Amino acid sequence: MVQNAWLIPLFPLVAYLLLFVLGRRAQEGIVTAISVLAALAGFIVSLLILSDVHANGASAPYVFHWLTVGQNTLSMGFEVTPLNAMMLTVVTFISTLVLLFSKGYLHGDARYSVFYQYLNLFIFSMLGLVISPNLLQVYIFWELVGLCSFLLVGFWYFKPEAAAAAKKAFIVTRIGDVGLFIGIVLIYVATGTFEYSGVFEAFEAKKFAIDWITPDHFITLVAILMFIGAMGKSAQFPLHTWLPDAMEGPTPVSALIHAATMVAAGVYLVARAFPIFEASPDALTVIGIIGGITAIFAALIGLTQNDIKRVVAYSTVSQLGYMVMALGVSAYAASTFHLMTHAFFKALLFLAAGSVIHAIHHNQDIRFMGGLWKKLPLTGWTFLIGALALSGIPPFAGFWSKDEILLGALKSGNTTLFVLGLIAAFCTAFYIFRVFFMTFTGEFRGEKEVYEHAHESGSVMTIPLVLLSIMAIVAGLLNSPLTDHAFEHFIFGGGEEIGKVYDTEWWLAGLATVVALAGIGLSYLMYKSKSINPEALANGPLRPFYQLSLNKFYVDELYHVAIVKPVVWIGHILNFIDKWVVDGIVHLFGEGTYIGSLGLKYSQNGQVQTYGLVTLIGALLLIGAAMYAVGGVK
Amino acid sequence: MFSGLAITGQTVAFFVIALFVIACGVMLLSMKKVIYMALSIGGVFIGCAAVYLMLEAEFLAFIQVLLYAGAITIMMLFAIMLTKHDEIEKPEPITAHPVWAAIGAAGFGLVILWVVKFSGIKWPQATPDSPFQGQDNVKLIGEALFNQYVIPFELVSVVLIVALVGAITLANKEEKN
Amino acid sequence: MLSVEQFLTLGAILFCIGLFGALTKRNIIIVLVSIELMLNAVNINLLTFARFGLMPSINGQIFTLFTMTIAAAELAVGLAVLISLYRNRNTSDVRDQDLMKW
Repeated sequence: MVQNAWLIPLFPLVAYLLLFVLGRRAQEGIVTAISVLAALAGFIVSLLILSDVHANGASAPYVFHWLTVGQNTLSMGFEVTPLNAMMLTVVTFISTLVLLFSKGYLHGDARYSVFYQYLNLFIFSMLGLVISPNLLQVYIFWELVGLCSFLLVGFWYFKPEAAAAAKKAFIVTRIGDVGLFIGIVLIYVATGTFEYSGVFEAFEAKKFAIDWITPDHFITLVAILMFIGAMGKSAQFPLHTWLPDAMEGPTPVSALIHAATMVAAGVYLVARAFPIFEASPDALTVIGIIGGITAIFAALIGLTQNDIKRVVAYSTVSQLGYMVMALGVSAYAASTFHLMTHAFFKALLFLAAGSVIHAIHHNQDIRFMGGLWKKLPLTGWTFLIGALALSGIPPFAGFWSKDEILLGALKSGNTTLFVLGLIAAFCTAFYIFRVFFMTFTGEFRGEKEVYEHAHESGSVMTIPLVLLSIMAIVAGLLNSPLTDHAFEHFIFGGGEEIGKVYDTEWWLAGLATVVALAGIGLSYLMYKSKSINPEALANGPLRPFYQLSLNKFYVDELYHVAIVKPVVWIGHILNFIDKWVVDGIVHLFGEGTYIGSLGLKYSQNGQVQTYGLVTLIGALLLIGAAMYAVGGVK
Repeated sequence: MFSGLAITGQTVAFFVIALFVIACGVMLLSMKKVIYMALSIGGVFIGCAAVYLMLEAEFLAFIQVLLYAGAITIMMLFAIMLTKHDEIEKPEPITAHPVWAAIGAAGFGLVILWVVKFSGIKWPQATPDSPFQGQDNVKLIGEALFNQYVIPFELVSVVLIVALVGAITLANKEEKN
Repeated sequence: MLSVEQFLTLGAILFCIGLFGALTKRNIIIVLVSIELMLNAVNINLLTFARFGLMPSINGQIFTLFTMTIAAAELAVGLAVLISLYRNRNTSDVRDQDLMKW
């Protein structure tokens, strides 16, 4: 079955081409059917491959020669490892549900078919990224998913915020991509190959074909450069600013791309290329610190945001921080496990949020929500499940994976990271339940009419919610002590352990649960029973902190002053030079030619006989010159 | 210029013919009425046919008379009649153009003359015996045309057809609707 | 005794007459005629070398035949153009046909 893995990206590609051919006025039903069936076929094949890998372990990559440049041969191909078999399954599963969900959410949109085209292209790129056996191919698909993200964030391009967000997403991730690109090029220069296996061998042996840097420093340099790429894609501090803005895209996009799959690509890349990072303790430390900072930083911002999608977006950033932190402390299995569970419950949260937004006419501000439980019971239940999973309440998925990460941080001796993670967990529980209470309980604070008309959407939107809820409940059990850490054994492919694995500490699990419950409790007191007045706190003693969090620690403003402004100024200067110096020279030639032609045009008098005469005299002169040069007739 | 030229019947005939041809050519240039110009070209064509005869190209000489002196000259006359046939070239102020044209044409002629006579090229000496002695000229041409040159021959027929159709299309009056 | 030079000289003179006519005559028909004159001069050259050349053969005559055919075709098209021009612009003067200028 493994040799047929190339089929999986092929399905969405074919669907994309089909939709492209059908054009933008294709019927919604046909468009959805094609897309969902393609994704579903991919999911089924993924499941078969998953079971195959589970039984037989990883296989060698299937590669073919792509092109030969000089003496360097580049190859393309695909490979199946436990890690990417898991990714394939998750991506195709969530894709199927999101494609289904979009039918309800995007119903009636003028560019419905285009939306599905983009989504299919994205799914193809993401799957291609996952099964790539070499870094070059990874980079190609890496850019493709970035492109799709750009297209989909800016799907409603007529909204200025959406257009700006799309640009921001593209430019900020680009900064990371440059790092990744340099890293890949350096690896190629040093090892002469793009293939994972060859690169890993070289890094293990520490034999590189460059002499301007010591091998150890080289490893650290490359690891950091590749991590910068991951930072951009996975929205790690300080390149996290694009992800919350990307929420301007349609909610299904946020669920698929900016929660479950593409943003996890950075984490996936680090996990896939883990031997490179493992070889450099310094790089791992940096990764751990960045991850920890991101986790706590985004969680703190999430506390005060009022846009339902932005809160969930900041929680995504925070959770990605967790994963990166886990990789930084070598908790490989915990990180990939969290990657999987997070994909389920975060897609669930986004789709539930999308259901809410859809029900109340595309309003996203939780200050104007409330009491929606009565109107949207199913959405409420599924959101609650997602929120519990995110908070890390047993037995939901998030509990098991988050617990593993905290365990890894503690056992690696990095107490600071552990404490940061714990605080972030508290904040996470607080803000997600803040959203829950403000949305589903109390009185509706928006327009009465909207509330009256709010109702549960059709089955295309509820079925994905239910299926994802089930996954959000049970996915965590895969790596629990109850199932003897089945996921770990699977992800290691029956071979030796990657990174570090620790036995479960029950006291730690208890502590994490207590912290999460404390967060929920505080949230309950502030937004449900109203025994603590959040307004008073925000305007009272905690005002500076509140403002800091509400304004996202002024990171955007800082970037604006420190980077955007100077760049714009340089742009102005260069524009001036281009306009007056470069264009001036060009215009000089242009004008000169024009003025010259003003006089010369009179030689074109339209008289054929004049032309003939001039030709004759010219020919005579040429004959004369030729004869003179040769000296007569030879 | 032609020193050492034996005065034989052939040479005398050649000079007479050559004089006639050149005289007709000069008339072409100097006549005022268009119709006379067209008639003088007929003289040139017939003189050329005589020259062809001297060069032992009997078939071509006949073709020359039929095609040029007959068909083409008549066609010219038709064309002149269809246009302003009584037009006389008006005398006009002398401009630089004809002067330069004369200089150019004369220069070109001088270059050729120089090449022919004074450049020291050894032209092949004319053999008194004709290379086509005792052979039927028409038969020779026919054999060459339908063996060696059959493909150009067919191509030329295509060119003729195209020219014919093109000429008809061009000269045809456009229907006004 | 005939010599090559005589014929070549005759051809050159005829060619120059044709050239001068083509460059100076105002009537389009005469310009066409002058071009025919030049073609005839070329034909004389071809036949001369067919008869007196280093390798005398029938090929020169064949070539002349082709030249004549093409000349006839050219003249037919030229006259058709002339008729069409005259119908549209009511002139057969070369110097009036100067629309393609600055």
